[in-house]
Amino acid sequence: MDNIRRGAVTFTALLISAALAYPQAFPADQVKAGESAFVQQCAFCHGRDTGGGEDGPDLTRSKLVGEDVNGNQIGLVVRNGKNNMPRFTVTDQELAALVAFIKTERKIAESQTGGRKGVDAADLTTGNIEKGKAYFNGAGKCTGCHSPTGDLEHTATRNDGLKLFQRLMYPRGASAKITVTLASGETINGTRAYLDEFTVALRDAAGRYRSWPVSKVKVKVDDPAEAHVELLAKYTDDDIHNLMTYLLTLK
Amino acid sequence: MLMNRIPFSLLLTAGSLLAQGTTPDMLLKPPKDAWPAYHGDYSGKRHSALTQINPQNVGGLSLAWAFQSGINQQIKASPILVDGVIYFSMPDNVFAVDARSGHQLWHYTYPANKGFHIGSRGVSMYGEWLYFMSPDSHLICLNAKDGTVRWNVAVADAARGYWTTMSPLIIRNHVLIGVSGDFDNLTGFLKAIDPETGKTQWRWDSTPPAGTPNATTGGMTWMTGTYDPDTDTVFWGTGNPTPVLNGDVRPGNNPDTCSIVAIDPNTGKKKWAFQASPHDTHDWDAVEIPVLVDGDFHGKPRKMLMQASRNGYFFVLDRQTGESLVTTTFGPVNWATGLDKKGQPIPNPAKDPAPDGRLIAPDEGGLTNYRSPSFDPKTGLFIVSAHPSYGIYFTKPADGSFGWAGADYGVWGKGVLEAIDYQTGKVKWSHELGPNGSGAGVLTTDSGLTFTGDAQGSVLALRTTDGKTLWHAGQGQSMQSSPITYELDGRQYVLTSAGGVMFAWALPEKL
Repeated sequence: MDNIRRGAVTFTALLISAALAYPQAFPADQVKAGESAFVQQCAFCHGRDTGGGEDGPDLTRSKLVGEDVNGNQIGLVVRNGKNNMPRFTVTDQELAALVAFIKTERKIAESQTGGRKGVDAADLTTGNIEKGKAYFNGAGKCTGCHSPTGDLEHTATRNDGLKLFQRLMYPRGASAKITVTLASGETINGTRAYLDEFTVALRDAAGRYRSWPVSKVKVKVDDPAEAHVELLAKYTDDDIHNLMTYLLTLK
Repeated sequence: MLMNRIPFSLLLTAGSLLAQGTTPDMLLKPPKDAWPAYHGDYSGKRHSALTQINPQNVGGLSLAWAFQSGINQQIKASPILVDGVIYFSMPDNVFAVDARSGHQLWHYTYPANKGFHIGSRGVSMYGEWLYFMSPDSHLICLNAKDGTVRWNVAVADAARGYWTTMSPLIIRNHVLIGVSGDFDNLTGFLKAIDPETGKTQWRWDSTPPAGTPNATTGGMTWMTGTYDPDTDTVFWGTGNPTPVLNGDVRPGNNPDTCSIVAIDPNTGKKKWAFQASPHDTHDWDAVEIPVLVDGDFHGKPRKMLMQASRNGYFFVLDRQTGESLVTTTFGPVNWATGLDKKGQPIPNPAKDPAPDGRLIAPDEGGLTNYRSPSFDPKTGLFIVSAHPSYGIYFTKPADGSFGWAGADYGVWGKGVLEAIDYQTGKVKWSHELGPNGSGAGVLTTDSGLTFTGDAQGSVLALRTTDGKTLWHAGQGQSMQSSPITYELDGRQYVLTSAGGVMFAWALPEKL
């Protein structure tokens, strides 16, 4: 048993050291083809060096890129879009070239020592922990929904610096509850699946998707993330830095 | 046999209506069967005198045709319509489409190139020639009859980081073009090109050459301006200074970046400038449409210019002098300490990007962007697709002083259509458009209708007086272009787009 376990550990250690010692290298032609496609279609938002541009994330620090294996993560985003990013039509070969370029740029960025551009987690620790805690428990009214020993336990471990900073200001993609009252008086509860001026849809407790014309039903939305929007207008920059520095203690 | 019964005079009339392209008169006063330039007319009001589709019957609006470009990109172009043919562009592509049926006449493809393919905002027309700008900063003159290339000239050096997306502005025999290029420290400029030869007639630089001590670069000119024939003046918006997020290396106001400039179209000489964002550090180009309105202002007739700017401010200027008449915000704005004597916002240095981030309203996409607003003369409402939003802005020494020089991230945003009373700058009504925001421009018509799109893919017809929805249809994706309208054979069409598809809406045909 011990031997087997030691063997497994040794094998894992070998894999890790191999990955560190021999980072994946891509053929120069493939990287060049990827760069050309990236500049044409991606660089405006993500920067020519993938380090971030007009509003697009810095891919050299992207968790998704870091977890990608042979385009399995990057391909999903490129072909389906994500948040504000539109979807793109790419062949497998074009995708492989994009992946080669993105990962090569990431390697270059990671190999820089000191003075690396972009947002480091260490940049976001300028606040005051006690003031952040006081804001959390007081003016921010955060305890109405959150608890440092409940939903936010280990939040600083689960989220990297910038992601945590963004989520503290607005938790993109957070779910909302919807109650629909039909003309018959029947009420149906669920999580928001879709809502615009004309159509409302929810996923009920059984996981079923149901939709109605907004004009034919009564709709009540309970979206806890709206409290974050209200705070955006009230925050000082000190408030968000104090809050961030406090949340970083929740490891 | 039928031919024999058609009077000779009618044949003559039909003959004289055969393809002639645009004329200077047509551009000055577009007929109802044409939308001959980006804004329709020179004023940028994106308002039509057409009234067949009205608040009473718009509920019956239906699809006349849809044109499938077959390209998986978003149409950002405002189409133009001349002699019954629609011309529009996508990066590397120009299409000619029959405005009655939606079938394709021809499709021009520009050779593969390494320019930024972020959008193409449309083609322009002079006589029977079309003018198209490529991602790698070329101006291509095409024959409108068949899409063949007449000439192709480089208007900026793509290798240095310039790219182009805009629809040129045609004034008499001047083709006015602008450029993009925020990822390098480059000088923005406006050029007048000879429509026959492609030769440069004049060039106006918005900033000094790169390397000038303590001076800024930038001030890109990437949207189509407007033109006042009475004073023979062009009005153009300029973009942000560069480096974009690091303002330390370019002290002062950085003239003429983030500005509205008045230019003589014959010489390229500047008449005046109004700076929407002095010393910008948030990428807020002031290239949004400078809308020209003649009308009453507080009891006096005025020749005005109105802009809902990306930085969150709504400006009304006297366009003869550049004097400020109204400066107000049209959504959350937290980056200025007040207004200077000229009515220009004073940036708050505490809201400059910083190593630990600054929370800024609006976000980098701005409170509005390239999508066109519309001015409705009857109600005096300036209607703009707004984007209330917050973003976080970073810059630190390691980000350097070249190009972007920092990072910024959107935090939250939504879309709201806002109808602003230009006399006061107050919002008379607003209409929610959905999460994140809508990229659709606005069209108003004399019958009291406002057309736009929401964030989730519906095209909307609203009542202009109060913003109430009268009609909608799902297009499958959020519209990224600005609608146009025209009347052919007694039938009014409204053109919208989503993804790579163009839609023509009309009242049901009586068959």
